[in-house]
Amino acid sequence: MILQMGWRNIWRNKRRTAVILVAVIIGVWAMIFMGALMRGIADQMVKNSIATLTGHIQLQDAAFRNDPVIEHFLKAPDKLAPVLGRLPADARWTQRIRVNAVAANARHSDGVVLAGIDPGREAKISFIGDAVYQGRYLGEDDLNGIIVGRALLEKFETRLGHKLVLMSQGADGEIASRAFRIVGVFRAELQSTEKQFVFVTLPAAQQMLKTGDEVSEIAILLGNYRDAAAVANSIRAGITDQTVTVYTWQQLLPLVSSIMKMYDGFILVWFIVVFIAMGFGLVNTILMAVFERVREFGLLRSLGMKPRLVVAEVLAESFFLLAIGTLVGNLLGLASVWLLSGSGIDLSAFAQGMEFAGMSRIIIPVVYVRDVVSADLTVFLLGLLISLYPAVKAARFTPVEAMAHT
Amino acid sequence: MRLKNLGLVVFLVLLLPVVPDARAAGGTPDAAALVKEAIDYYRGAASTAKVVMTIHRPDWERTMTIEAWTKGTRDSLFFIVAPAKDKGNGTLKKGREMWTYNPKVNRVIKLPPSMMSQAWMGSDFSNNDLAKSDSIIDDYQHTVETVTESDGHKVYVIRSVPKPAAPVVWGMQRLYLRDDRILLREDFFDEDRQLVKTMTGSDIRMLGGKLFPRIWRMQKAEVTDEYTQLEYRELKFLPDLPDRLFTITSLKNRGR
Repeated sequence: MILQMGWRNIWRNKRRTAVILVAVIIGVWAMIFMGALMRGIADQMVKNSIATLTGHIQLQDAAFRNDPVIEHFLKAPDKLAPVLGRLPADARWTQRIRVNAVAANARHSDGVVLAGIDPGREAKISFIGDAVYQGRYLGEDDLNGIIVGRALLEKFETRLGHKLVLMSQGADGEIASRAFRIVGVFRAELQSTEKQFVFVTLPAAQQMLKTGDEVSEIAILLGNYRDAAAVANSIRAGITDQTVTVYTWQQLLPLVSSIMKMYDGFILVWFIVVFIAMGFGLVNTILMAVFERVREFGLLRSLGMKPRLVVAEVLAESFFLLAIGTLVGNLLGLASVWLLSGSGIDLSAFAQGMEFAGMSRIIIPVVYVRDVVSADLTVFLLGLLISLYPAVKAARFTPVEAMAHT
Repeated sequence: MRLKNLGLVVFLVLLLPVVPDARAAGGTPDAAALVKEAIDYYRGAASTAKVVMTIHRPDWERTMTIEAWTKGTRDSLFFIVAPAKDKGNGTLKKGREMWTYNPKVNRVIKLPPSMMSQAWMGSDFSNNDLAKSDSIIDDYQHTVETVTESDGHKVYVIRSVPKPAAPVVWGMQRLYLRDDRILLREDFFDEDRQLVKTMTGSDIRMLGGKLFPRIWRMQKAEVTDEYTQLEYRELKFLPDLPDRLFTITSLKNRGR
């Protein structure tokens, strides 16, 4: 009966109810939609970083991370084969060389990261597998081919088939240089990636640097990134060699993992801000509804209604407002996320600014169930909690006061 | 008859050292040999020199005096002696590696690969131009394009194309060699055969006991008012210089 009274009461002033419903709906929608956008940005960042020659787990020489020079390459990568053989069935791995080098042609020269890759294996792990849009991908025994990014190609004013000379420090401490022919051009999510990386085959890099069969890292991509820590532990258990260190992507990408945490904080703050704005509106509305019905509440009390029930009645009104608001807000939020899930929000116009933060050109919002649940709970529980204030006020009216009230 | 034959043989033997010198024979000479000769002539066995380097830009110009020691194509040592601000800055080159010394911090720095293609002391010469000076002999295939005349000398225009796997950035070089082994001009082309920069030698006169272009100028192709000019003030060719001159210790001690 209380619920029925509450339901009927809120529709006594239709316009006021509609206004506060709109406020709740917009609030909930903003929470869900903006939350999904932030998650989308963060997710994309993680995906990009993992696909940009990181992988979920990496095996490196213990000293390589602090001092990534040729002396700190993995000494005997073949010895790790048994460990890699025991990986989960859906995991893939590859070995690669990654060193800083200088690329030069007749007119330009610039620092790049030289990546010596195993073309077949790398294609299944990194972005490079399907990023080549001009020319061709590297063949298995391509000793002179090199793949460069579109931005680098433009910067160097060169084109397919032209020569690029790479220089770096060789294993013997001398300058190692080698001429490559551009066989392919790749496109990447970030321009900085296009400028940064050049790809050659692993044997070509090893010959150039005179490193024998040494590599700088072994990267592993798992079926599910959440397993990274567990798999890394089992790899650690299987390695006796103290010079080999196993890193998970969270350790390899400290910036990205801390940005992820920062986004968690952002989303919470965002929820609270939206809720505070919405909460004041809600309390105000209910308070108004209570004060214009002083005589009514006095009547109910004099008819013998217990104060507890008066509180319950006012809370019921607020419950309906919040319930309808969150429901419609959720539906709207999910609908707008769904609408954008295909194409995303194209921010190419601001690409350079976005790149600074390592973000993609296109944001595709991602809904985390945990965000939706916490948004709804925040609105609902806190909403009811603050409605207690007008409700208690309503319960305190005595019949005498109500009669005196005009 | 026998004696006559012997005389002819002796005559031929005497002639032999001269015949391989293709210029005397008048046929088309071997381009690779011409280039090697020119580089050897220009480098000598060893040399000491005092050079004034002028870096000219549209809005500024600066001049420094450099003392240089070279030995063959592999070793060289340079020091700035003037202006006082830069005095003592040195560069040591051994083979294809280079070190620089800065007296202000009293440090020798080995030039990493990343700096090899940067300008040497702000000039139009790159560190690579110095470090890989023997590259023109080893990394290129030379052919004589045309032979022209200039000031009563034959000038061989030689087209030098890098060997397929050679780690050089140029698509082609064109050398202008005078028949007395003097390098008059070196053009650097990119892979589209567009001219990138040109080095020219001029004011050929007796220097250090042989004819030598006193002024060298390196100029980028697209700009007219930017160049770097080397002007030899003193040049001496020596039979040899001690190896200990071309060491890091010597680089440090001389700069101090």
